[in-house]
Amino acid sequence: MSAPVLPETVAADEIPAAAVRRTRKISETTWLVLGSAGVLGLAFASLFVGVSDVTLPQLLSGDAEAWELLWISRLPRTLAVLLAGTAVAVAGLIMQLMVRNRFVEPSTVGTVESATLGILVVTVALPAAPMILKMGVASVFALGGTALFLAVLSRLPVRNTLLVPIVGIMLGGVIGSVTTFFAYKYDLLQTLSNWMIGDFSGVLRGRYELLWIVAILTVIGYVAADRFTVAGLGADFTTNLGLNHKAIMRLGLVLVSLISAVVVTTVGAVPFLGLIVPNIVSLLFGDNLRRAVPWTALFGAGFVLVCDVIGRTIRYPYEVPVGMVMSVLGATVFLALLLRTRKSHG
Amino acid sequence: MKISFRTALGAVAAGVSLLALTACGGSTESGANAADAKTVEITHKQGTTKVPVNPETVYTFDLGVLDSMNALGLEADGVPETNYPESLAKYNDAKVTKIGSMKEPDFEAISNGNPDLIIITGRTSGSYAELSKIAPTVDLSVDATNPLESFKEQAGKIGKIFDVETKVDEQLAALDTKITDTKAKSANAGKGLIIMTSGGELTAYGAGSRFGLIHDVLGVATVADIKSEGAHGESISFEFLKTNNPDTLYVVDRDSAMGTAGEASKAVLDNELVKSTNAAKNEKIVNLDSNAWYMIGYGLNNTNKMIDEVAAGL
Repeated sequence: MSAPVLPETVAADEIPAAAVRRTRKISETTWLVLGSAGVLGLAFASLFVGVSDVTLPQLLSGDAEAWELLWISRLPRTLAVLLAGTAVAVAGLIMQLMVRNRFVEPSTVGTVESATLGILVVTVALPAAPMILKMGVASVFALGGTALFLAVLSRLPVRNTLLVPIVGIMLGGVIGSVTTFFAYKYDLLQTLSNWMIGDFSGVLRGRYELLWIVAILTVIGYVAADRFTVAGLGADFTTNLGLNHKAIMRLGLVLVSLISAVVVTTVGAVPFLGLIVPNIVSLLFGDNLRRAVPWTALFGAGFVLVCDVIGRTIRYPYEVPVGMVMSVLGATVFLALLLRTRKSHG
Repeated sequence: MKISFRTALGAVAAGVSLLALTACGGSTESGANAADAKTVEITHKQGTTKVPVNPETVYTFDLGVLDSMNALGLEADGVPETNYPESLAKYNDAKVTKIGSMKEPDFEAISNGNPDLIIITGRTSGSYAELSKIAPTVDLSVDATNPLESFKEQAGKIGKIFDVETKVDEQLAALDTKITDTKAKSANAGKGLIIMTSGGELTAYGAGSRFGLIHDVLGVATVADIKSEGAHGESISFEFLKTNNPDTLYVVDRDSAMGTAGEASKAVLDNELVKSTNAAKNEKIVNLDSNAWYMIGYGLNNTNKMIDEVAAGL
């Protein structure tokens, strides 16, 4: 019943690989460190990408204005990118574990659409509501939408690989159309597109800090990662291992919904990320969960960072929203992945 | 040259219709609507349309046109469903026929209403062909790359249709005086930048954009050559504001234009980077009336109001 039992249970499941794991673990830690160094290096470089003048020599010579820009604008933006990238990718991974399907993520099962509907409802009902209230309502809606998806899924007679994402996309479409209808009715279609397309151009000190919430949520996700794998195997299996299936599913639901809601309210929806990154990680490193989470976080942060830097430079000095860059890159990667999966299956 | 050609064309058209009238005086088409049959040919963006002079039932989708009609003491009978600002508040009345949204015509309602004339502009210009089947339709879009001339032409056509050309000419002349005065002030006022805030994000607009009146007509110098051909400007960061350092910052608050202040522009612009600009230091952040600029646009009353706002900030 107690929590610490779990990692051992899963490890026992992999006894044949145990010996291999031990030797591999050392080199992989090294890789992970190198990878983190890479993303950090990229993050450092991104601090010097922007419209105003901030260069390393200026900073070193103690140029007050450059330092100020760094604190007010550059560092917050890079941090926001890293936080959102990490969290959304990990949320995608958790979602995939919970429903045992590689082709779902919060933006394809209705979570993001529900969160957006939530923001729309607050915006219409209480236009002057503070950010935190919007976030709260968005979270409640996201929870509802995700729960609805899980409920529909549990009633499906067949659960094959393709049916699950299709059900998710359909559900997301239904919720999305309700959102669009009300946005249309209240002349908010363009405001809606602001939320649906992730954009870091408005990030400044004092405007992104709520994103730190997702850092905490991501850590919780990491700690509980193994449980989601077990829970994905079914209620009976989970109960046999002495775990509370319902509690785990609820935790996953809350984590995924909160992360989506917080990210959508602060920077907007970041599509595809939760789908591609866990898939790439699984292709590269296999399905061992504990290993997958740090890699997912790292790849997620790196991917958003690259997209944001592209968005900042491609039409310099104007910006292209990160969501747009990501949709183009993400769709390409996702298609490639799908084709690859089919080949290996066929 | 262009105008004189048009005037000539109009004269010929008038002559022809007069001839036609006299010619078929006793024929089957006849007498009953002889008074109504007085028409004028209006050449517009999508062709030439024969329009009855002083039409009885007029539908329009454009709030700028509505504003001009207001200024001329005219009334539209069908208008789009939207939240009308104060100057056009009478159209909020449910009794006024609603003919769709500002972008999507409700063809059934329009067809039922049997209008004598439909006036469309940019937002609904795609529906020209369908609307033309219902009633004479004219597309009086104002061309953003040449706003003043284009607006004057639009006003002139409205004057022609409703037979109030002298009134239009008077109002346009007054507008010209106002523009000349404002231009004199703007020449020494430094550089200006137009931005719109929406959902906490910024977009910038330059000369030739939908808010280009400020640069193109009133002569305010630009801080950067912003090429925003689309209606929605260029997405910019706060650093863009700081670096380009405008002397005057013109702000359109889109969220409040829509009546749902998501995050008022004042809150969005309340940060260190904006405060470091000359505009903020000299208190030259001009909050433009979003109804006037975003919703209504060019109209005989409203253009005066827009110019006044810019002049007050100079």
